[in-house]
Amino acid sequence: MIKFVDVTKTYLNGVQALKGVNLEIQDGEFVAIIGLSGAGKSTMLRSINKMIEITSGQIYIDGIDVSSIKGKELRMLRRSIGMIFQSFNLVKKMSVFNNVLSGRVAYHSTCKTILGLFPKQEKILALDSLDAMGILDKAFTRADQLSGGQQQRVALARALTQEPKVILADEPVASLDPITTIQVMDDFAKVNKEFGITIVANMHHVDLALKYATRIIGVKDGLVVFDGKSDEINDQTLVNIYGRSLKHDELLGDPNE
Amino acid sequence: MNKFQITNGKTIIKPFNKIWFIIAILITLVIILWQFITYDPSMIDMSQLFVIVKQMFTPKNTILSQRTWGDYFAFMWELRNPLWITIQMSIGGTIIGSIFAIPFAILAARNVFKNKYISVPFRFIMNLIRTIPVILLAIIGVAMVGTGVLSGIIGFTVFSFGIMAKMLYEAIETVDMNPFEALESTGANKFQAFSYAIVPQIFSPFVSILLYIFELNIRASAILGFVGINGIGEVISVNRLYNYDRVGAAVIVLFILIFALQLINSHVRGKLQ
Repeated sequence: MIKFVDVTKTYLNGVQALKGVNLEIQDGEFVAIIGLSGAGKSTMLRSINKMIEITSGQIYIDGIDVSSIKGKELRMLRRSIGMIFQSFNLVKKMSVFNNVLSGRVAYHSTCKTILGLFPKQEKILALDSLDAMGILDKAFTRADQLSGGQQQRVALARALTQEPKVILADEPVASLDPITTIQVMDDFAKVNKEFGITIVANMHHVDLALKYATRIIGVKDGLVVFDGKSDEINDQTLVNIYGRSLKHDELLGDPNE
Repeated sequence: MNKFQITNGKTIIKPFNKIWFIIAILITLVIILWQFITYDPSMIDMSQLFVIVKQMFTPKNTILSQRTWGDYFAFMWELRNPLWITIQMSIGGTIIGSIFAIPFAILAARNVFKNKYISVPFRFIMNLIRTIPVILLAIIGVAMVGTGVLSGIIGFTVFSFGIMAKMLYEAIETVDMNPFEALESTGANKFQAFSYAIVPQIFSPFVSILLYIFELNIRASAILGFVGINGIGEVISVNRLYNYDRVGAAVIVLFILIFALQLINSHVRGKLQ
């Protein structure tokens, strides 16, 4: 369970990204965070695994206060949380297999990982993750040989190899074309259902968020202005979140049209 | 000239001024022109160039020493020993200097150590070392341990260190830092994130810089004989006054070696891409 208690974040340049966020995310949920760019979506997501340090308030993950831990404890926490990025963040010159296996480094000592000594069952785990994402045959190609959608699947496989309880996704499909977007979102749905992993994703496309997520959190100016099931969303709630009606580019539409 | 007024009356000033660039070009042109104006054609005897080139690439044939093409090629074959010494010194210096350069390059890279109190002093040390010419380093080497292979290795080590540290930290600064962020998000510590996200990206630049430095060392070895470093440079310096044919033979051998190295370099670089 992830719990935000009065979380605020003020950046060094004075920008107040979060102004007192309270929410609870239960295990196994698929949560989409929507809102204008600059509303604080990314800050919210990244403060969960302390990639961004919050200014005040608390974030609890399974009872652990994230803001109070550091060093080894923090790394142990991050190990149980996968993270997906808009630009995939793979090492392009490395093989897909090694990229996926790098999700395991936090399980071992520095010396062992520098020498690249991973137990055989972890290598199998990495390959299993790739197979779950349908790209086992790409295991020994270099990451930069793959298409954008395939690279995002490699990133998902890397996250799965961490054996996480939660996966955070920061605009996971924003740099993909519409058809690939659907495929990658299907993979997220699969990870959520089959592996029982909680998913928290920032989404630019509102219709995608409504289709895949079970719960929507609307963020506006650093505050949660909507929190409910996807089917509770109507045009009026969207106007509340966005402060205006949706623009064309905030909808993916039907890619097969 | 650098101030623009757009249609609604607003103005914006372009910060960079081209004037210094233009002044620099003009000064350069004046210097070059001055050389041409003050040039005295009688000072240069072009025929001497061809005389020396001919003497270098034909066997010496005077009353005192009458050598044949057979002697010329036999001498080239004899050069394999000094050449081997040169190669050993260059490889030793390249590898030792490059290994020492790795931690310095990492500490000087601003994307890894954002604290400039770390990067600035290390850059200063590296720049200082790089300003010392290789021939001076060789002289210091000879002064420390006397003539021989070791003094050459010392000179080449410091020379290689300076180049590797500079080129490697520049290579580190161009890497994609996104994978580093991703690795940190998996719970990896900084060392692990560095070795999994950055090392794979700098491996191939490292190897190509290494080969480039080896080539530079071989080239530099041609002049280091003058300060008492063994190897092919010694052959050149010993014969430079009267035995132009031997200097020529050494130049040819060195040329072949450097040419072969360039071929290997471009082949390896192609493989690494």
